[in-house]
Amino acid sequence: MERDRLEIHRTAQLKSPFLIVSWQTHDIGGLGSRVIDFLRKNLGGEEVAEIKPVGFFPLGGVRFRNDLVQVQESKFWTCGRRNLLLFRSDEPAFNHFRFLSTVLDFAQDCMGVRELYTISGALSLTAHTQPRRILTVFNRPDLRGELQAHGLEPMTWEGPPAISSYLLWVAGRRGLPGASLWPEIPFYLAAKEDPLTIKLVLSFLSRRFELGLNLEGFDSEIDDQNEKIARLRDEDPEIHRYISRLESGQSLDEEEQIKLTREIYDILS
Amino acid sequence: MGIRLYREPELVEPIMFVGWPGIGNIGIIAVNTLKDTLRAEEFGEIESWDFFYPKRVVIKDGLLKSLDFPTNKFFYRRLENRDLIFFIGEEQPSDGGRIYASGEKAYQMANLVVDVGLRFGCRRVYTSGASVSLTHHQMKPRVCAVVSSEELIDHVKSYPNTVLMSELGGRGEGEGTITGLNGLLLAVAKKRGIEGICLMGEIPDWLSVASFPYPKASKSVLEVFSEILGIGIDLSPLDKMAEQIEEVVESIYAKFPPEMKEEYDQRRVMTQPEPGPITIQAQIYIDEHLKKGGEEGGERPA
Repeated sequence: MERDRLEIHRTAQLKSPFLIVSWQTHDIGGLGSRVIDFLRKNLGGEEVAEIKPVGFFPLGGVRFRNDLVQVQESKFWTCGRRNLLLFRSDEPAFNHFRFLSTVLDFAQDCMGVRELYTISGALSLTAHTQPRRILTVFNRPDLRGELQAHGLEPMTWEGPPAISSYLLWVAGRRGLPGASLWPEIPFYLAAKEDPLTIKLVLSFLSRRFELGLNLEGFDSEIDDQNEKIARLRDEDPEIHRYISRLESGQSLDEEEQIKLTREIYDILS
Repeated sequence: MGIRLYREPELVEPIMFVGWPGIGNIGIIAVNTLKDTLRAEEFGEIESWDFFYPKRVVIKDGLLKSLDFPTNKFFYRRLENRDLIFFIGEEQPSDGGRIYASGEKAYQMANLVVDVGLRFGCRRVYTSGASVSLTHHQMKPRVCAVVSSEELIDHVKSYPNTVLMSELGGRGEGEGTITGLNGLLLAVAKKRGIEGICLMGEIPDWLSVASFPYPKASKSVLEVFSEILGIGIDLSPLDKMAEQIEEVVESIYAKFPPEMKEEYDQRRVMTQPEPGPITIQAQIYIDEHLKKGGEEGGERPA
């Protein structure tokens, strides 16, 4: 393990923990960030290490958004009471394999991680009023039954890989079993947040790792969001028609999708 | 990061032919065609994951079946009087999403290729690419050469249809840059004791930004390879490809504005046209009709 890529802040003793990973870059519906934040705050997460940015991120300046400087972060937290290791990061711009190997070097060699889970949102043509599925990808066939028992649906896909798939592949090469969770997020909620999906994922994690999470707080967020969208549907027949079509399994053309996304974004802002 | 050899063929001072994508894919098409014609056998690869982001993932019923990366493969062929190694890289590694290799990764890749060459006793490496010049597409492309040592200059002068870069007009004392790995490999090979020759097929300047290959120049390079190895090579697959591209090129050429065409056609009668900037009119035409996205690069006039 090349420790010079890591900054280890403190040592922590976990017993073969599970690793949960999320990416801040292209974080659809704010899912990954919210899930990690929730776990961190509710399970007493303590920062233990981070990956240094040199060699992985452009360091020729700094990005800012909404007047705020954005700093690339690649941090690990432990939740000792629940035997979890959390990792949240921006996607590296360079040396992806080395970066992903560093994640697993720390997770496996320093923390003894036994299983990996990644969390990313999948854009969907489903309507917000409909139940969401969690699609899943795993790197060992014996995980299929276990994940399906939790109601997760296996994904089929051929095309450009997301970084979560790449991490899963690197983990597989190192003998670490893992799964990527791809919960569906209605496309028009992608730029905001989708509390229903966040709750769904946390609910799965709570059951899977016996975390005993209290997720009631999400209900008011979900109700609030649903009410706002319902009001918009009442006021704007076109929006109502678009969502109704999605509810009946029909698609929308590009222009309609953009209009719906824009209107929903405005009403939720 | 490493080399994976599936087998260790017994080779005697093999010559190495190396190809990466570049302008008009002239070099890689020439090297790949030679490799295929000689039915060279694959014997190893450079592991891709340190250099490239994967191209494609296959997930079936939940199971991650495979992740495909651009390949970097070694092949070999034993001829009666000469052993050959081929290296074909599907992409040039680079830091920061550039088309042509640059930086640490490019240097590492070049060294790994040379590692394999040295392991099998290679003494000479040929790379190939494009020479962007003020030629006309209806003329037979020449092959322009750059060598790694003085001793090789007379040698390449014996190659058919081949000129040294210094013999081309407008390049000072044969100055220029061979961008990317087809150039960098020569430097790394030279530092490590392997002599190198880069053979670049001529491509008209305005076609160097096109998104399609230029097999006509690959054919010129391949003819030189054929001479070097003293073997006959079936060029018909290249001829067919060249014909198809020629049709496209001619259709674009037919739409050139008259003054531009007149200016361009002078290249056919001038053996060494004085190089100058592309005219504004031509540049506008190129931008509108041909230019692909991304960075320009490759071997360009100094």
